[in-house]
Amino acid sequence: MSNVTEFPKGGCVLAGINSVLSAIDRVCPIFHSGPGCCMQTTASDAGQSGHKSSCFVSAVSIPSSNMLEKEVVFGGTNKLRTTIQGAVDIIDADAYFVLTGCTAGIIGDDIASVTNEFFEKGIPVYPIETPGFTGDSNLGYETVWNTFLDKVIEKDVPKDDKLVNIFGIIPYHDPFWSGTLEEIDRILSRLGLKVNTFFTKGQGIETIRKSSGAALNIIVNPWLFKGPAAKYESKFGVPSLRIPGLFVGATDTTKFVRKVAEELHLDKDLVEKVIADEEKYVYSYLGQAIGVLSWKRFAVVADANNAVGFTRYLANDYSFTPVLVIISEPIFRPEDKETIIKEIENLEYARPPKVLFLSDQYEINQAIREEEEEITLLVGSSNDREVALEKDIQFILGAFPMSERLIFNRTYAGYRGSLTFTEDIYDNN
Amino acid sequence: MAINLSNSNVATRENRIGSITGYVGTLKDLATKSECGTLKGCSRCFSQSSTCLSSCALGQLCGIRDIALIHHGPAGCSVAAAGAYYMAKVMSKKRGVTSNTIYVGTDMNENDTIFGSTNALRNVILEVNKRYSPKAIFVSSSCATGIIGEDIDSIVDEVRDEVGVPIVAVHCEGFKSRIWATGFDISDHAVLQSIVQPPREGVKTNKINFKNFFESARPEIIEMFKNFDLDPVFLYCNSTVEELSHISESLATTCICGTLGNYLGNALEEKYGVPYVRSINQCGIVGFETWLREIGRVTGRSEPIEKYIQEQRAIYLPQIEEIKKQLEGKTAVLGMGPGYTFEVSRVLNELGIKVVWALAWHYDKKYENGDVPPSMKYLLDTDIDFEASVADQQNFEVMNILHKYQPDMYLSRHPGSTVWAIKNGTPAIYVADEYMIFGYKHTLEFAKTVLDAINNRSFEENLAKRTKLPYTDWWYQQNVDKFLEETK
Repeated sequence: MSNVTEFPKGGCVLAGINSVLSAIDRVCPIFHSGPGCCMQTTASDAGQSGHKSSCFVSAVSIPSSNMLEKEVVFGGTNKLRTTIQGAVDIIDADAYFVLTGCTAGIIGDDIASVTNEFFEKGIPVYPIETPGFTGDSNLGYETVWNTFLDKVIEKDVPKDDKLVNIFGIIPYHDPFWSGTLEEIDRILSRLGLKVNTFFTKGQGIETIRKSSGAALNIIVNPWLFKGPAAKYESKFGVPSLRIPGLFVGATDTTKFVRKVAEELHLDKDLVEKVIADEEKYVYSYLGQAIGVLSWKRFAVVADANNAVGFTRYLANDYSFTPVLVIISEPIFRPEDKETIIKEIENLEYARPPKVLFLSDQYEINQAIREEEEEITLLVGSSNDREVALEKDIQFILGAFPMSERLIFNRTYAGYRGSLTFTEDIYDNN
Repeated sequence: MAINLSNSNVATRENRIGSITGYVGTLKDLATKSECGTLKGCSRCFSQSSTCLSSCALGQLCGIRDIALIHHGPAGCSVAAAGAYYMAKVMSKKRGVTSNTIYVGTDMNENDTIFGSTNALRNVILEVNKRYSPKAIFVSSSCATGIIGEDIDSIVDEVRDEVGVPIVAVHCEGFKSRIWATGFDISDHAVLQSIVQPPREGVKTNKINFKNFFESARPEIIEMFKNFDLDPVFLYCNSTVEELSHISESLATTCICGTLGNYLGNALEEKYGVPYVRSINQCGIVGFETWLREIGRVTGRSEPIEKYIQEQRAIYLPQIEEIKKQLEGKTAVLGMGPGYTFEVSRVLNELGIKVVWALAWHYDKKYENGDVPPSMKYLLDTDIDFEASVADQQNFEVMNILHKYQPDMYLSRHPGSTVWAIKNGTPAIYVADEYMIFGYKHTLEFAKTVLDAINNRSFEENLAKRTKLPYTDWWYQQNVDKFLEETK
């Protein structure tokens, strides 16, 4: 239902779909939408998420049928057909996906039958019939994987007991996505695993097609990807391990490593050696800067995944006091909220913070303004900087939307990311 | 063309002033055909992303201080404009003023597209008014609300008395026009309809309306205009509702970009007799002088303006001449909105750079008053000609041209466009700031920037060596008009 949302965070489902497809090498999205949807969705996710944009095609180079009044009235399938043909002629891609804007969705253009004409000729063009108004960027991530599961991923791929798929980190939506995937990849590779991140290392559609051969899906997110995970299991027999929140710092990352090792029955000696080695690395640095950062009472405003990671690291590994955590992405299922609250409240050391679910900036600002306990550090998005300034709270820009930082491979995740996070708290970016 | 402020809908540029988005030929042909009325635009059977007119319309409006913008549509439509809002906040900070402008989305969902949501919209408007006490409220539509036929005008009429501040519907269906600059007209129309008041009797002023994007040259323009006893009112970035209500009293209206300012300028002239300064724009030497002289003529200040021109010439012309020696004979391709393409082409010509191809994202055959845009007329009268196209931001056409002509530089006012030129190994100059080539001083700076860009190509060349562009070899061998077809 229509309601008041001041500065909505994240785009529509189309934005999520575009973000995911853009991150896969040699994959070309084709918008069947109004003339502005491609630029709008690019601006709403990639444009506010650390200023990276796709290498292969992005923004102005993405094909779009640019539907106008004529198409709204008479239907846009003819325009779509010539747009796909042109895309195939001029863009040398390994696969093409047709995205549906609100306009095409409401007037009911039959997209699948147009893409079929191409598919039958052996050209890999796939339809994604989920118009913009059906949801947000998060849904877009799931929608793409559902499309892959239904139409792209192959059956009868030989199983590889060392191959794992990583899910739960949304490219071009989570500002730290590439660095986070690279850190996960680095850690798991040390355990002797082969890692499909899908969005780094130039992995492309072929990796996705063969992803059914994996031994395990690892979902790093408290709530996302339930539907696709079930489908992976039922259709391709790939089980899932859910890590209910990003791991930042030695404690949670080691817990993550042990869970994966247990699930895949990895060699215990190797696992313990890697853990000892990584923990030593982290603490040898932390030990070199003791007392450099002053002690903080902190608040976090972020998506659930990062909020869990930031809160747990600062409270559980770095002796800071958690006061308030605001989950700023829309979470609809009550059981998902419970999982998130549990992860944030279940702290070994600190007393649990207050947890709120608010995506309207007005309400977020009110909650921080009216918090009775003192807050001396706020980790949040560009939208939250203003209230931090107003209350004279130290502010760290660590969540989407992120307009004032350029992020290449930086991450706060894992062993090494926690050092970067700690550095940034000192630098006060 | 008469401007009708009693209706909240603005006719599109295509319908009002015959604007087109598809053409390949030469500058002369384009201008001659528009002058005699035979120019017919083409459409594309294949296209890449264009831009939404709502970004232009709402981006302009959210620069106004202390207003509320309610975007009635799915969340995705509202999010993008948050970038524009962010920009406006930065701009108010830069100027040292505060803006409490608020950008609200209504987060329309699937149910709303089936059952409508006018009732909910009414509540959203009232809630926004209560929460933020804005000085004016703009309620925008989107593609989705447009197609299902939400009657925003009626809701706005119903709540007008209750909210007690200017409130107006802003019709921003993205599919309405293939020309995103129609969005500028839409924002002007909304401001004229809801905020601008008829001139108060007996008010004497030395104000001049200055329509621009981000007022980055504000202090120096204020300083310059002091010489002529003129006080510029910059629109809309950091404008207040109070200021806007009196722009009908100004001595004249001028703008930094004809595409941006044309509708407001003509409307103020037609409705309230405020003269609209119609000249080539302030880019480069001839542009700057012509513009200043026209202001002098319209406001009766020719004498101090002539004096200023002579003083400034003495300072800057010798320096510009010096740099020109190093730029002589270099080649350029440029792709910009029509308000800049044909102005910047003129400046490049002044600097001795040869334009081999100019792309305008769209082209207005005639401005609101029926004349061919002044920048085109100037190029024609001065016998300058080059290959030109009207290209709707189509990247594949830009890349085809860059690949064929291998120019020394590519200039664009759209960052996405320069990205691809740089990947191609072409030094690209992002003419981001609208004042980048303003007057003598910035023309000199611009010339230096161009020189820097083409002298050190380390990044472009190193990147291009390691980058594979997505386009097929087949495409590079085609004519650039391959996908253009006669509009049916």
